[in-house]
Amino acid sequence: MQAWYHCENVYPFVPPDVLDRAESVRASLPNKYCDPGMAADLFQECLDEHLLCDELGVNVVSIEHHSGINSLYGASPMILGILARQTKKVRILSLGTLITVRPDPVRVAEEYATADVISRGRLEIGFVKSGDSEMVSGNANPVGYVERFWEAIDLIQKTLTSHDGPFSWEGKYYTHRHVNIWPPVYQRPHPPMWAATGDPETSAELGRRGMINALVLRGPEASKRAFDTYCAARREAGLPAPGTDRFAYAALCYVGDTDEEGLRVGSKTLWFLNTSLKQAPQMSKLLPGRSPPELTAQNYRSQPKPGTARRPADSLIGITAEQAIARGILCAGNPETVYKQIMDIYDKVGGFGHFIFIGRSGFLDHKEAEKGIRLMAKEVLPRLPAATPTPDIQPAQAAE
Amino acid sequence: MMAGERLMVSGIEIEVVRRGSGRQILALHGFQTIDPDARFLDLLGRYGEVIAPSGPGFGHSPRPKDFDTVYDLVHLYLDLLNALPGDKVTLVGFSFGGWLAAEIAAACSHRLGKLVLVDPLGVKISDRETPDILDIFNKSPDEVRRKSWYDPERYAPDFNAMSDETLVVYTRNREALCLYAWHPYMYNAQLPRWLGRIKTPTLLLWGASDRVVTPDYGRAYSSLIPGSRFELIEAAGHHPEIEQPEVFVERVSRFLEE
Repeated sequence: MQAWYHCENVYPFVPPDVLDRAESVRASLPNKYCDPGMAADLFQECLDEHLLCDELGVNVVSIEHHSGINSLYGASPMILGILARQTKKVRILSLGTLITVRPDPVRVAEEYATADVISRGRLEIGFVKSGDSEMVSGNANPVGYVERFWEAIDLIQKTLTSHDGPFSWEGKYYTHRHVNIWPPVYQRPHPPMWAATGDPETSAELGRRGMINALVLRGPEASKRAFDTYCAARREAGLPAPGTDRFAYAALCYVGDTDEEGLRVGSKTLWFLNTSLKQAPQMSKLLPGRSPPELTAQNYRSQPKPGTARRPADSLIGITAEQAIARGILCAGNPETVYKQIMDIYDKVGGFGHFIFIGRSGFLDHKEAEKGIRLMAKEVLPRLPAATPTPDIQPAQAAE
Repeated sequence: MMAGERLMVSGIEIEVVRRGSGRQILALHGFQTIDPDARFLDLLGRYGEVIAPSGPGFGHSPRPKDFDTVYDLVHLYLDLLNALPGDKVTLVGFSFGGWLAAEIAAACSHRLGKLVLVDPLGVKISDRETPDILDIFNKSPDEVRRKSWYDPERYAPDFNAMSDETLVVYTRNREALCLYAWHPYMYNAQLPRWLGRIKTPTLLLWGASDRVVTPDYGRAYSSLIPGSRFELIEAAGHHPEIEQPEVFVERVSRFLEE
């Protein structure tokens, strides 16, 4: 199994009373509450954690979130560029540049190709639909974003796989009359592609395309549903059954020397759920376009009826460590405990080839994060089962 | 709310509410479709036949695939305008529908007898760092409510009291509006240049307490339409037709009789 270290580079140092008063800790919280000096320290620490991963054989993830305490990685391609140069061995996953808020997918493809070349073919490209406050801070229309998502992926894929001179694209959402990026991608036909999603239609399309389906903080049941949908879509399309290499499971995770330490330190990551998810209603449940009006109309009521579409994140706010462990959102304890927790999820889900561990969040500090990474790499990762391949998908090769 | 009458325009099915008889009054809704039980509808129906369509994606009107721009809406309504009987039509546009009405009038004045714009959107007036139009998607629901109504306690929608079906229509209307008008937000940068083409007698009615688009914005808007008249309606916000239906219809009828 591939393990991927995921750190959002959160900024937890805003006074609690400011956060309590704010309508949202994303998109509209003034950036005067972010000290650039402290941000610089955080960047150094988090990038060093990625370098430690490189030493230990743990792959790294560069994520992207905008304008809030939940992440300072808004300019994700810049982080990718640093990781591409400073790491030497491990694979680097962008999960991902938020293509639904980027006006020009060709530019995104150019950034990806550059990172792939700098890293000599270690890049993996993940796509995230985004939504909620990021539509607001990204100035992107939330209605129609799924259609836009797929067109952006199509255009990026076409850009990365075209090598014979300019082509033209006149799509519904994007037009670009002269596409011919330099440098081209290092890996051929293109770096492996992922998407993070739990919604069935998107998982089905990922299945048909053979992309890797990552489930982030969704727990085993929702992940199994997504993976089953993925498999069914491939079956219906006459494609071979996927191996576990097409599935990725992401959870908050901390490995300590003892269960007490693992749980105590790992519980700090719940800050991400309990503090950093607060979004104003107009940027979340009342933002049009996320789900059909029939499912979201109730959100206008002060007491919505059962069955109303909620964002998956809503059910995570206020969760305790015990609940998070029970729901497969958090793995925490000594190496043996964490191994068992991961394998319990693995069995419930039906297997996955990638485990993304969110090993630092909230007030969990750099030293603690590095200890957790070391224990994960040395004591847990070697015991996890190998991924099984998907027959019709060949690994990407370096360009000849 | 029951689905209203259906009308086919250019192969597109739209829901229509009708009231009254006589001269044709085409009424284009704003953020929300026109409530068939709205008092102003009955009052206005005394002065002509009010035809109030729900734009594709709004109300119960389906939205055809790839019908997703203000350009589409304007052309659909131009076709509807041409399909209406009689020589001249009175066009009334509310808020977002006022933007559409202004576009239509700039393109096709010869079919219009009179134009009434009620707290219309659609133009950019102030400098680039001063938004003219309240962002009803990005600002808090409380702020939007406060700035939309003179008397929100009495007139703002009560979501808890709404039927499920009405609430779904409300949500659907917001989704359609967001699709059409998210960017640029609720205006066409080119429109001011062409408002001068409007030859139709035009009345701009404005809620004196409107803070979605303020009366100053309305006065500037009016100055772009040759010969237009600007009038305030007191004790009303962005929806004077709802908060002051009698005054609203009295002003419109007086203008129609001129």
